[in-house]
Amino acid sequence: MRTSLKPRLLLVAACAATLVLGACASLQRSFDEGDIRQVADLINSGQSQKLTALSVTPFLVDGEVVVLPADVAGFWDGIVKAGFRVDGAALASGADIDKNSYSLFAPTMEVKAFFARNVREGGRILDFATSGGKHVRLLIKNEWFSWKIVGWKGPF
Amino acid sequence: MKKALATAGFLLIGSLMLSALPADVTYTEGDATVKTKAGAQRDAQIGDILNTGDTLKTGSDGQTELDQKGVTIKIAHNTVFTLMERQDGGKTSSVVSVALGSIKFRYDKITGTEPKIRTNGAIAGVRGTELSVFSGADGSTLIAVDSGLVTVESEGKSVDLAANQAVDVPLGKPPGDPFTVQRDQIDYAKWNAGKLDAMLYDPIAAMDSIDTAMASYERDIANFIKDFNEYSQNLKTERANYSDILQKQGTDAAGKYNEEIVYPLMLKTVALGLNVRYSTLAALSLRRFVAGRLYVIEKARFITRQDSPDWQSFLDRYSAFLDDFEKKVSPQLVEADI
Repeated sequence: MRTSLKPRLLLVAACAATLVLGACASLQRSFDEGDIRQVADLINSGQSQKLTALSVTPFLVDGEVVVLPADVAGFWDGIVKAGFRVDGAALASGADIDKNSYSLFAPTMEVKAFFARNVREGGRILDFATSGGKHVRLLIKNEWFSWKIVGWKGPF
Repeated sequence: MKKALATAGFLLIGSLMLSALPADVTYTEGDATVKTKAGAQRDAQIGDILNTGDTLKTGSDGQTELDQKGVTIKIAHNTVFTLMERQDGGKTSSVVSVALGSIKFRYDKITGTEPKIRTNGAIAGVRGTELSVFSGADGSTLIAVDSGLVTVESEGKSVDLAANQAVDVPLGKPPGDPFTVQRDQIDYAKWNAGKLDAMLYDPIAAMDSIDTAMASYERDIANFIKDFNEYSQNLKTERANYSDILQKQGTDAAGKYNEEIVYPLMLKTVALGLNVRYSTLAALSLRRFVAGRLYVIEKARFITRQDSPDWQSFLDRYSAFLDDFEKKVSPQLVEADI
């Protein structure tokens, strides 16, 4: 009796774990999609001030470290004024950062140090595709009940 | 090299570091943050002490006042200010750096040991009691003297400014001709906006100036490293000689050898290490506060026109600049610098 119960218990535990992990993965994906949607909506509606408020300094633009809040505000203002839109933004991928993630922005010593210093924990890289076929990469940082934009790359 | 410089840094603590001038925060309002030499960042508060290597940065609504042993330093909004030091003629001297923005200096008295003031493209030796330093978006510098004398150097040429005189120093070029200016009559925002417009009108020409200034820092770094390596090797040999003398001739002879040969050589080696750091941080300042800002502005400007020949030619030029920086400057940077 004991020998036949053990595999069953293991199977139930494995199923439960799979369900929990699956639920977590799908929950994470829905968080990522929500973050992308929020950024896209703010860009498309020209709300650069809200994008600035959602951003932190230092901030990364491709391989450039931006340290002044006024320059981050200038970046968001600039792309809104240039008429940039991200119509049909759809999450292509979302991943926690690891020690090599910096190279997804720029394979330089500065960007590597930026990641090590500023997104050690809670950092995620979200790639989204636009209807124009281009991709944009966001570096975000999750904090307690909130999240911030830490970097931007693209469109590419 | 970095390990050797770190060793040099430790040696420095016991010898030369004492000559660096700290600055006390005596007033602050709005957004003002301090980044320490070790890389830690915190809000600036009255009573904070800035030491060599520390950077103070103000935001759009921030302003701060420092006291550096009789010098009052008023830091306006959107300004980046760093305390540095370098070796000059066998002595360690403090240097205050204005990477971006505007700062006013007022000296209670002139002692002859005032820190030099550096921007991305110029160095000012102070013999005046009141002056303003403006560091523009394109890396150019405007220095205006209210009282006393100030010598401004750039690209091997210097000009002396008397009271009510100012000079504009374009990045990578010698100072222009001094002109008359009345106290507090310079509108930094207007001056800076003009510089920014000119830079964006011809970003390739702006990159030419940045390249010229960066090449100068890179040459300094390469020369200091070469000398540092030679001196480090000599120091190693002399330390071995010292041990030999200690063993064969005793404490007195070894002490004399240390005092006359080893210690002066160590100081010189440390000084060269210090100058590598100084030039490296100056290069980083130019890269971050002039070149990097230009890139971010251009990136936003052309974000919907990425196929534009103007953007592509800028991008090609910028990529070459970055490659050069990565090869010649980045190896000397440490994580805390970023």
